[in-house]
Amino acid sequence: MVTYLVGALLVALGGIAIVLIIASSKAEVGSGGTGELDVTMAEGVEDNGMAVMLAEMIKTNLTNKPERVKDFNKLKGTVWITAEDADVEMTMDFNKGSLTVRDGKVGKPILAISTDSATLMDLANIDIKFGMPYYFDETGMMVIKKLLKRELKIKGLLTHTIALTYMTKIMSVK
Amino acid sequence: MALTYGTDEWEQAYVAEVAERQKAPRPYIAFSPEWIGLYEKAVQEDALYKEAAATWEGSVVLHVLAAPEVGIDEDLYLFMDLWHGDCRSMRLVPKEAGEAGDFVITGSMERWLQVSRKQLDTVKGMMQGKLKLKGDLPTIVRAVKAASRLVDIVADMDSIYPDELTPEQIEELRGWIVPLREKFGV
Repeated sequence: MVTYLVGALLVALGGIAIVLIIASSKAEVGSGGTGELDVTMAEGVEDNGMAVMLAEMIKTNLTNKPERVKDFNKLKGTVWITAEDADVEMTMDFNKGSLTVRDGKVGKPILAISTDSATLMDLANIDIKFGMPYYFDETGMMVIKKLLKRELKIKGLLTHTIALTYMTKIMSVK
Repeated sequence: MALTYGTDEWEQAYVAEVAERQKAPRPYIAFSPEWIGLYEKAVQEDALYKEAAATWEGSVVLHVLAAPEVGIDEDLYLFMDLWHGDCRSMRLVPKEAGEAGDFVITGSMERWLQVSRKQLDTVKGMMQGKLKLKGDLPTIVRAVKAASRLVDIVADMDSIYPDELTPEQIEELRGWIVPLREKFGV
């Protein structure tokens, strides 16, 4: 049963990936660019280790992989992440080329990600192939299984798929 | 006068010091040179670590903040020279060398002992701000399995933790750590 569900989810993600590649290639005309990276740490966020880590990771990633800046420049919306085992939560406000990182839950997120610290590291280790998150290797399959087992919960997975794809790309260290 | 770190003289004297100290009966006090010597050997012989760290390049420094209550009056820097699954060496090093490591993870003695006892996961500790990382974060995130294995190896070692020492043992620790710092500049 689980194998069937994994298969179905992979096929669905594959389909979404194809649509996104087409959408992305169209959107690239006149957009993209590698402008100044605008990441602001809101007051009080400095003691939130996860927020500091993820903000730093995004900044380093985009510096090392400038081709992903165009994804950062397209992302608009609030993302809330909680590491349940660490009892830490953070909010990232993306606004097409700028990011504000805040402690706790602020505003109305379009994506809400709840999981444990180790799985957040798995998410950051999702490979990017052909410009898209790749779920067909060991790490990708593990993430899918955790989604199915509800060890990883992503609100907005189906309603904000494009935002999730941009988010995954700028978070991925691969 | 302290030996100069990075010289052959320093290295030979350090290795001799560890060999001499390892003549004492085990277990050893965590983070002491003799304990670090055992840890180095355990990592060098660990097949799981070699596999997980096959692509790892760079030094990792565990920075232990001073804990006078257990006899550690100044910060300690445990420098791990790690390269492609191999542990080339582990040494207590002077502050300047420690701060210059590729990846420096800083925490209080209490936090490091929690990590050693597997009461605190390293990643979770960093997310909670209990441990602070300095260095290229994406690189360490890619090697999270290798980092976990380094912690697992510590947890499997038979150790005396500084917070288990009696007041007399703490004074005894101070008695040897001060001359050690003077000799090696650590």
